[in-house]
Amino acid sequence: MRDDAIRKVVIVGGGTAGWMAAAALVRIMGQIPTFTIELVESDEIGTVGVGEATIPQINLFNAMLGIDEHDFVRATNATYKLGIEFRDWTRIGHRYVHPFGFYGIDMMGVEFHHHWLKGRALGDETPLDIYSLSIAAGLQGKFEHPRPDQPNSPLSRIAYAFQFDATLYGRYLRALAEQQGVVRTEGRIVDVAQNGETGFIEAAVLQSGARIEGDLFIDCSGFRGLLIEQVLKAGFEDWSAWLPCDRALAVPCESSGDVQTLTRSTARPAGWQWRIPLQHRTGNGYVYSSAHLSDDEAAATLLANLDGAPLAEPRPLRFKAGHRKKAWVKNVVALGLAGGFLEPLESTSIHLVQTGIARLLTLFPTRHFDPFEIDRYNALTEREYVDIRDFLVLHYKATERDDTPFWDYCRTLEPPEGLAYKLDMFRRNGRVFREHEELFTETSWLSVMVGQGIEAGGYHPAADILPDAETLKRLAHIREVVADTAARLPAQAEFLRQHGSASGVSLKRAS
Amino acid sequence: MNEHSIRKIVIVGGGTAGWMAAAAFARFLDNGYTRVTLVESEEIGTIGVGEATIPPLITFNGMLGINENEFVAATHGSFKLGIEFVNWGGIGERYFHPFGSHGHELHGIYFHQLYLRERKRRVLPDISAWSMSAVAAAHGKFARPGAEAGLPLSQMRYAFHFDATLYAKFLRNYAERGGITRIEGKAVDVSLRGEDGFVESITLADGRVISGDLFIDCSGFRGLLIEQALKTGYEEWTHWLPCNRAIAVPCRYEGQPDPFTRATAHPRGWQWRIPLQTRMGNGIVYSSAYMGDDEAQDLLLSNLEGEPLAEPRRLSFTTGRRLKAWNANVVSMGLSSGFIEPLESTSIHFVQSGIARLISLFPDKRFNPAERDEYNRQMQALFEDVRDFIILHYNATTRDDSDFWNYCRTMQIPDSLARKVELWKAKGRAFRENLELFNLPSWVAVTFGQHLVPDEYDPIADSLDDDKVAAAIEQMRQAYLQTTERLPTHGEFIARTAAAQNSAPPPLPEFVF
Repeated sequence: MRDDAIRKVVIVGGGTAGWMAAAALVRIMGQIPTFTIELVESDEIGTVGVGEATIPQINLFNAMLGIDEHDFVRATNATYKLGIEFRDWTRIGHRYVHPFGFYGIDMMGVEFHHHWLKGRALGDETPLDIYSLSIAAGLQGKFEHPRPDQPNSPLSRIAYAFQFDATLYGRYLRALAEQQGVVRTEGRIVDVAQNGETGFIEAAVLQSGARIEGDLFIDCSGFRGLLIEQVLKAGFEDWSAWLPCDRALAVPCESSGDVQTLTRSTARPAGWQWRIPLQHRTGNGYVYSSAHLSDDEAAATLLANLDGAPLAEPRPLRFKAGHRKKAWVKNVVALGLAGGFLEPLESTSIHLVQTGIARLLTLFPTRHFDPFEIDRYNALTEREYVDIRDFLVLHYKATERDDTPFWDYCRTLEPPEGLAYKLDMFRRNGRVFREHEELFTETSWLSVMVGQGIEAGGYHPAADILPDAETLKRLAHIREVVADTAARLPAQAEFLRQHGSASGVSLKRAS
Repeated sequence: MNEHSIRKIVIVGGGTAGWMAAAAFARFLDNGYTRVTLVESEEIGTIGVGEATIPPLITFNGMLGINENEFVAATHGSFKLGIEFVNWGGIGERYFHPFGSHGHELHGIYFHQLYLRERKRRVLPDISAWSMSAVAAAHGKFARPGAEAGLPLSQMRYAFHFDATLYAKFLRNYAERGGITRIEGKAVDVSLRGEDGFVESITLADGRVISGDLFIDCSGFRGLLIEQALKTGYEEWTHWLPCNRAIAVPCRYEGQPDPFTRATAHPRGWQWRIPLQTRMGNGIVYSSAYMGDDEAQDLLLSNLEGEPLAEPRRLSFTTGRRLKAWNANVVSMGLSSGFIEPLESTSIHFVQSGIARLISLFPDKRFNPAERDEYNRQMQALFEDVRDFIILHYNATTRDDSDFWNYCRTMQIPDSLARKVELWKAKGRAFRENLELFNLPSWVAVTFGQHLVPDEYDPIADSLDDDKVAAAIEQMRQAYLQTTERLPTHGEFIARTAAAQNSAPPPLPEFVF
């Protein structure tokens, strides 16, 4: 046993991020006899957790925790998600879907979208969306697990995520973490004790006077960054010039019974509105720029655009797009909102927590806190934020909308360097590259670039391996197989019933 | 393909018959050339009730590539090993008509001859003790005999009970996936071609006109095309089979489904009992000349095992057959081609045979009369063969408790049947002349059960040693019993197929280049 091993981890804050960290750390490190985890949270402080949408990587996290999917779905009122539908983003009345999974099938070693671009050049006007099973099934509210046993079926590699009640997810993880020995302490932190010499955090002091000492502190205290910012002054990289939205209003409403297996994002005059259908209700929110819209106007627009009766008062949230300059300073690692914030346009919030945890586990420190390792952590974290930022900015930048000052601002802003490069590559010959294992794949970039109306100047010359008539024939065949497969999949409600994962919660007003 | 090839087939009516035909065409006419349209109206109910079948349906499912577990689950189906006949030979009697044969031959001598011979020496149990299907059924057991099953399990034959409405839905799904077009609409008129009187098109209530080269009339008893338009004519068999009414009603029941159909004779008709996974199908078949509808309904309802699950549905029919099942460019299938009461669960089999024969004699636009005549000849033979076998159940009885049974017991039976009965009565000989559907095992079961046991056995059986025959017969009987003990119950087997179906999802379409 190393004598410099971390003996105690203190997690500050028990929202989604805090309990995700607790559950993961105890699962991986909990068997070490000298290792303990304590999570401090205060019931007085609400969590931001609203209806939360995720991306397929959540499955890896849940699998690591040994979570049974159907049990988890039932416990969190979750629904399945095959992608995100974007309405009115490119122009008012337009819609496209960013699917998980892929379009069509690569043929003759050439990516599918080049065959599709070739088809367009030959006069086949069918939109890209038609070639995605995720989109067809998503729009029809269907769901089925992937079928790797049928490699030539479009269902073979379909990817999926969930939409769930984040508060229930936190509770679910808490039960899991507590069972494995995580100690939860109720209390409000009023002071933090630092080592006089090193500035390392030695303890969190609660209102009750209790002192919670630890070797490693994980700051999950939310936007304010109790340790990482208020104490350690990590600094914040402000990206509001690229992502001007700085407020959100969230409100759940009664479900309309419209059961698409997609999250929906609808562009509004000064931002956008999310719609996240759960089993028992629908989560909604308006993300907007306070420079372009008043809170009252935002509330009015949000409430006027719900599927059903609101189930609570809209909750206001304030934020700034960007990230902590250093996510890890001394013996404090910031996760979740304490680490940074990117609007949930591509459902990345929980994912950022998850990757932060994964990186922390990979580079888990000793009590020496090697700065070289910490630098690596911070560099990777920053890279991830930048990549996601570029992808989000694409949605705002590549638009035809000129109906409000907000959209004029977004359309004409100078894109970040990485995004400018990607746009250029695509505009030439439809080339899409995924850089340095970035989160969003070629499919994602393709989907949003095509969806937002970026035109490729040509297609890969190798797509001409197939004679023109054969290309058109194959495109038609793929469309048919995709549509036929979607028609055979069960509706989500049926899938939930088959797997006993319907939560059975009746629709009731919260009040 | 040539200029004579049939390009458009129109199926009129979407009950069990219509969708069976559509599914078969989706499979066998998938040539990129022939288009198949099925017209049905949701206004017109289908007759589909709880339906019992016979083993050849497995062949039909196999032709279509239908996964049997999926099929059973989708139709709330159960397995069927035969039919139990109650009160037919005489009040208080029962016998079992199993699928599959009785016993084994010894040195080329039929088992029933050995049985008859042994019975002269000592008292033997009922012959159903030598039927794998009957013994398993009596114990409520069932397992699908695999291709590798050895004796005696390999002698077991089975069919299904299912909800006919769900079966039609299942086939509709299959057919639509296979490219059949369904049109919702009610056919109100039929146009004939001047020159040859062939059907040119049908007109729907909303004015749409649907033309075709070949029409399949699945419109039910009325025969919209085959009779109303083409005046084909109908041969009635009411003098042999006087029942002309039925009332059907499902009911609740407890416990696992029996793996057999039951047909219980009443003083003036009979009642069916078809156990599905989720409910019991029941119905009474009777003659309006001998019993009123209300009386029949009361009788039916007083003989249910549980609370009725729907209003009783009344049906009338005339037993007989369309003079030509195929006339001009119209092939009738199902009820439009004829009707014989479901005493031996043959309704779906008629449809299946019609489809199989049509595919083997599939026409082109020239409609060669020789092909059509051959089709009609074969269908006539099938109908008459089934008719004779059903008549046998009514005629071979000791019942004299009502006018109805007195009529049936003493009526003049068709010559074709009389000849067979004579031959059988003498020394238990039966010959399969016309690829009859019901052959030796069926004759053995029904005649032994209905007091038509041959007077003597075939003298050729005397060539075998008495003791050896006795020992072999006893050994067989034990083998059926021991095998049955090892089988799962019918309920367990259904649960197993449901589980197998969940673990092996149905195949999905694939990219094929």
